[in-house]
Amino acid sequence: MLALVDFIGRFHPVWVHLPIGILLMACLFQLFAKRYPLLKPAIPVLLFWGAITAIASCITGYLLSLSGDYDQALVTQHQWMGIATAAVSLIFYGLNRLSLTGRYTRLGAVVILILIMITGHLGGSLTHGADYLTAGINEAGTAQEMKPIPNIQEAVLYTDVVQPVLQRKCYSCHGSSKQKGKLRLDAEAQILKGGKDGKAIVSGKPDESALIKRLLLPLNDDDHMPPKEKPQLTPNEVAVLSWWISTGNSFTKKVKELPQPDKIKPVLAALQSGSSGEIAKKTELPEEEVGPADEGTLNKLKEAGIIAVPVSNETNYLSVSFVTAGSRAQELVKLLEPLKKQIVWLKLEDSNITDEGLAVIAKFTHLTRLQLANTKITDAGLAQLRSLQQLQVLNLVGTGITEKGLASLKELKSLRALYLYKTGVGTAAWARLKQSFPKTVLDSGGYTVPTLPTDTALVTADNKK
Amino acid sequence: MTKKDLIDQRLVKEAEQMVMRTHTRRHFIKESAMGLGALAMGSLLGGCGSKKKAAHSIAFDPAHPLLPKAPAFFGKAKSVIFLHMAGAPSQLELFDYKPELSKMDGQDCPPSFLEGKQFAFITGVPKMLGPQAAFARHGQSGAWVSEHLPHLSQVVDEVSFLKAVTTDQFNHAPAQLLVHTGSPRLGRPSIGSWVTYGLGTENQNLPGFVVLTSGGSFPDAGKSVWGSGFLPSVYQGVQCRSEGDPVLFIKDPDGMSRDLRKASIEAVNKANMQEYQDYNDPEILSRISQYEMAYRMQITAPDVMNINDEPQYIHEMYGTKPGKACFANNVLLARKLVEKGVRFVQLFDWGWDAHGDNPSNALNIGIINKYRSVDKPVTALLMDLKQRGLLDETLVVWAGEFGRTPMMENRNGAQNPFKGRDHHTEAFTIWMAGGGIKKGYTHGETDEIGYSAVSGKVDAFDIQATILNQLGFDHEQFTYPYQGRPFRLTDVGGKVIQEIIA
Repeated sequence: MLALVDFIGRFHPVWVHLPIGILLMACLFQLFAKRYPLLKPAIPVLLFWGAITAIASCITGYLLSLSGDYDQALVTQHQWMGIATAAVSLIFYGLNRLSLTGRYTRLGAVVILILIMITGHLGGSLTHGADYLTAGINEAGTAQEMKPIPNIQEAVLYTDVVQPVLQRKCYSCHGSSKQKGKLRLDAEAQILKGGKDGKAIVSGKPDESALIKRLLLPLNDDDHMPPKEKPQLTPNEVAVLSWWISTGNSFTKKVKELPQPDKIKPVLAALQSGSSGEIAKKTELPEEEVGPADEGTLNKLKEAGIIAVPVSNETNYLSVSFVTAGSRAQELVKLLEPLKKQIVWLKLEDSNITDEGLAVIAKFTHLTRLQLANTKITDAGLAQLRSLQQLQVLNLVGTGITEKGLASLKELKSLRALYLYKTGVGTAAWARLKQSFPKTVLDSGGYTVPTLPTDTALVTADNKK
Repeated sequence: MTKKDLIDQRLVKEAEQMVMRTHTRRHFIKESAMGLGALAMGSLLGGCGSKKKAAHSIAFDPAHPLLPKAPAFFGKAKSVIFLHMAGAPSQLELFDYKPELSKMDGQDCPPSFLEGKQFAFITGVPKMLGPQAAFARHGQSGAWVSEHLPHLSQVVDEVSFLKAVTTDQFNHAPAQLLVHTGSPRLGRPSIGSWVTYGLGTENQNLPGFVVLTSGGSFPDAGKSVWGSGFLPSVYQGVQCRSEGDPVLFIKDPDGMSRDLRKASIEAVNKANMQEYQDYNDPEILSRISQYEMAYRMQITAPDVMNINDEPQYIHEMYGTKPGKACFANNVLLARKLVEKGVRFVQLFDWGWDAHGDNPSNALNIGIINKYRSVDKPVTALLMDLKQRGLLDETLVVWAGEFGRTPMMENRNGAQNPFKGRDHHTEAFTIWMAGGGIKKGYTHGETDEIGYSAVSGKVDAFDIQATILNQLGFDHEQFTYPYQGRPFRLTDVGGKVIQEIIA
């Protein structure tokens, strides 16, 4: 039964447009009735149906308000204005039928118009939030990212750090205008009270607090918050909320009064400096967007047997492979020049590319993965790749590259993996290289799997283990 | 007119005549009458189509069905090597360490494990069977691996174990079909077909989906586990041999020169093209492209599929047996294929069905030889992919179709002569590595004796969803229209196992 009530109630936002439209037409007809007398007979009919649909709206609206997801004060105002609209239009209809309106006809139309506008605005505030109309004007005030705090240690953790996060990412559904799941996060008492499913936070235990648990659920989980389509919290924001709960969710204490484990320090530092400060989490693709690749060039590549496909349907960045065109890579690599912004992955293993070809590749500034295994490139050629500031993975397996060549790549800040199996890098150079590339995983390869006697021994029924 | 043109012309003519022979007066009248109606119908249907735009639609180009395509979103894995231990290895002897079970060894199985359960062979009250191996923790992750896998235990920090995998099929064929096609019954495309359909393949001179078998027998479900089901047949797995010619009849027969081969394929394709223009069946275009690929493969395949030119130390690393058909050779070949841009390589190794009704499938005799035959090559594969920088973008999956019972098998109520376990659906272990999967992680737990999943329970659909996710597909959006409804690999199930994603 409750479900049915809820179901009917949910028609309210759709249904209300009927009385709005019909009554609006009635009012307009009334206002122009003098000039176009032909409109007159339509007015009572419109008023009648307007009043009937308005009453139906009141009923569905009441059923919807039972869900309790909305700001009660606002709901009450909206409710009485709605009832007033229905009542006035019904009375006006009655007077109209009895031809008692006399010279007040126009006044009645204006009253109904005003009532509709007020009720409509209140209803809009309920569904879209009270600040919906002005959100565009106040955009600067609702920035999506954390604002820098000049002196983070002196700041009050709740009001200066936590509350702004909740305000940006949670209030729209758990604030003054809406209380989804009967949860409000915009006041101390309400946060502690929790919602329909119990307490939102367990003081000192972020892992057990529904507030944090839901943030950490996989995005596709139905219980994940914020819902998939809404702006998500950044890792730093989650870290701040979770730290706040773990330190006893004080609403008054300053940052410096609270214990600061190592994990939170970089987050606080980021808040102070105002850099977006996400804990350097590298994405596979460059941050900036690029335009689509040139069709003509793509066709040329296709004819030449070079594979070039977007790395996903969501981006214009390309993955390019010479897997079947390796023997002509040196001459063909120039074809890629018009795509120098789009290419992020380039596979040239076992190709005839030389240092000369690398000069072309050095222009592909968005390149994140470069595969040059088993090619004839040398240290001198490699130095040209210094320009590839986005490069994350470089595969030099089976090339003649030595420590000297790698030294020229030291400035590649994004480099996270360097594959050096079967290269000219000597064992003595290894420790030095590790120092030059502190953030890069250097893979020397050369792994062995020793042959054990048991590997080949055969167990038989007579020769049990 | 050259001789070649003449031959071509003759072939096309022959094809035309064949068609005409089947074209009767009845056909003519039917076509004349139906044609107009069909025209009208076509425009009507097109006009009122309210087809919702799919989140990810795959452009199927019948003339180039295998050209690489972009995934729906960014996927860390570019290719997959699926190692299937056909017959189902025992989790209790390899990964799922259950000391409690050894205490119960030899006792009657408690009735609570038997009531309402159905087994493939166990009848009456079987005895419990303790783990037939010593276990130890390995690596920084502290993963449990038994003494039977001394090599793999050295690289557990590269691997994510799923220890609470379940299935609802206790016979080999349906269980294998479920793992690979998402349905225990025949007729659905296998995961390799789905993936090559969605992504195409980088190397146009090789098949996109290659199957290699070892162990002396096909998997019980037969070739359907690499079939293309209702997908265009070009996406079915191409089974290659690891001994002799990789593909049968790949060499031109004596007296057939390469030019003559080319000419004959061109002529056949011309005839097929004519056929396509008449019937518009995209399968004909697929066939044309298959002929062309076969011609190119004659050159590239023997080269790529020849493991003999690999250096000696690589052979030693994998423990290959040159010239013989064996799992180790297939594993090395799998690495070579992935390196050359093959999208999906599926390996089946038969002979894991440890019932204990004869010495060859006894847990303490023949099955030990199976462990030894895969341990070294699989470990070598992970390390070799790693040193070549390929492990990041290659997803390796090691799995069976189900698990084995904590009870000793008693076929027809009598104790089996050797130590063995029956088929078990409620808990088994698989592992995945590379391709954006967490390193050194274990997900899921079973109860004290390894009978059923306690936490982190996953099934075949979850694994399929995870594999597709790593390749850049949402398994719920990745569909193919067939018989009036969109089909997907995971049917109505599947949840990406986020816990094991790095």
